[in-house]
Amino acid sequence: MTETGNLSALLPLILFMFVMVGISIFVRNRQAGKNFVSSYFVGNRELGGFVLAMTTVATYSSVSSFVGGPGMAYQVGFGWIYMAVVQVTAIFLVLGIFGKRVALLARKLNAVTVVDIIRARFQSDFLAAIAAFVIVLFFCGTMTAQFVGGAKLFAAVTGYSYESGLFLFGLVVVIYTSIGGFRAVALTDTCCALIMMIGIVLLLHYVLEAGGGYDNIMTTLETNNPELFEPFSFGNMPWTIYFTQWLLVGICTIALPQSVVRGISYKNTQGLHQAMLIGTIVVGFMNIGINFTGILAHGVLTGTAADYGGVDNIIPTTIVKAMPPELVGLAIIGPLAASISTISGLLIVASSAIVKDVYLHYAQKNNRTVTPNKVKFLSMTTTAIIGATVFVIALTPPSLIWLINMFAFGGLETAFFWTLLLGLFWRGANKMGAMLSMTGGTIIYCATQAAGFKILNLHQITIGITCSLILFLIGSYFGKKSDDETLQMFFPEKTSERN
Amino acid sequence: MQKKNPVSVSDAQKFDIVRREAIYTGLALVGLIIFWLIAGFATASLDVKFFHLPLWAILGTIGVWSVAIIISAVLSKVLFRDIDLGGEDND
Repeated sequence: MTETGNLSALLPLILFMFVMVGISIFVRNRQAGKNFVSSYFVGNRELGGFVLAMTTVATYSSVSSFVGGPGMAYQVGFGWIYMAVVQVTAIFLVLGIFGKRVALLARKLNAVTVVDIIRARFQSDFLAAIAAFVIVLFFCGTMTAQFVGGAKLFAAVTGYSYESGLFLFGLVVVIYTSIGGFRAVALTDTCCALIMMIGIVLLLHYVLEAGGGYDNIMTTLETNNPELFEPFSFGNMPWTIYFTQWLLVGICTIALPQSVVRGISYKNTQGLHQAMLIGTIVVGFMNIGINFTGILAHGVLTGTAADYGGVDNIIPTTIVKAMPPELVGLAIIGPLAASISTISGLLIVASSAIVKDVYLHYAQKNNRTVTPNKVKFLSMTTTAIIGATVFVIALTPPSLIWLINMFAFGGLETAFFWTLLLGLFWRGANKMGAMLSMTGGTIIYCATQAAGFKILNLHQITIGITCSLILFLIGSYFGKKSDDETLQMFFPEKTSERN
Repeated sequence: MQKKNPVSVSDAQKFDIVRREAIYTGLALVGLIIFWLIAGFATASLDVKFFHLPLWAILGTIGVWSVAIIISAVLSKVLFRDIDLGGEDND
């Protein structure tokens, strides 16, 4: 490496990455001899409450929560935190609504993926294939955004090149996910979540110190930036942002496949209950902590966000200016941990969509025997190939990467929200409804995004989710009802009431 | 409230419990949204500050978070029941 950078910032990162790979190898050895598909894709349903909470939070919290978000808080003020705090609903909602139902169904159906459950509920291989395709497509967009965001942060803070950052943490995350599977992802996610919290505390401490203390920073802000103390930030935070954020990062996140799959992976209901509480505490701490730090960064930086190259550069610049050089490496592990934990969580689900939901299903259907070794080889290779593909895309990053990230988030929610919610809680939901909702809703969402079409200036998720619901209801009204055997499997409580 | 051991109930009863718990969670969400609206927007016109922070900013952020924690605690410790999930992976 001929480039020069802050070597002391690099060493903690390298150490952290070694620990991640070490965990993965340890998990791989521990899982030897167990059912490979179950252990690789859902960790053999062995997660306890703490790990379940941390892996759900870490997968949910992306690098933008640590970079773009607090940068916006710097610009907008407390209105941004007021908006971001809706994310405290994410964990108790997904686990409270889907956690137990998905766990019960997964055990009855021997399912290891969300697509397995969709296939069984709607008795449709075609719908399952579409679901798998949607997952892989949108996950690739999200993962690319994480790679790019992480590598840019790395470059800004350490002084090494973007490509070096991408190689360092990009390859490591692909390697450890490929080797260790879901269990390794869950454990490394837990480490990442803990590191994120430590990173927030460290950064907050040094920002306060560099800004001359809390009283000094806040007094200056009250005088110079009164817009930061107003919920609409003098017009910078319109109500439409509040509304759409409730959908995008609040309510609709319950249907994200990467979150719902956590419902398949835990051991018992005591663990689920613990996770709901721990997860809500942790996600709130992270959200409020990092965004508040973004506002307090005014004590370190004196210009506008534009003066530092935009909101995405606020946190990297603050880290460099406020923290001692020897601690910079520790501080950026937090945001990078957010990045790699999201990538690993998505990577394993994307891989399961291809290997388990498509390949193994069709092999089984055609009575072809696939040896355990071949499954192992295919699973690890597929994980590595998807990771490598996204890695290559990230080498030449698209310019609208953050928009792509939000686009992917909305696309997944449009595709899966009603399919999962109505599919698992409404007997009247059927194949036609789910098919129309998933395909029609997603196509309409993508088309409105491409055309830049909005209603009342609301994010296109509002159009996607509304059309998806309407199509679901129309399809369920006109389509053939689900058969009795399926309804008995998914709604035994209703069937017993009728008998 | 004393924590109950996992209950042995029929498959139908388990799904019925789970359905009720999902409804509780949905209602909790509605309650939190109402609190969020009142805590932030409804108090924004008040000229009250603590630690340099306007009341709406405290209630709308830390207040909402605290209520979410209380909701999670009530759901998981009071309203939700431990059930045997079945399958060989369960305890």
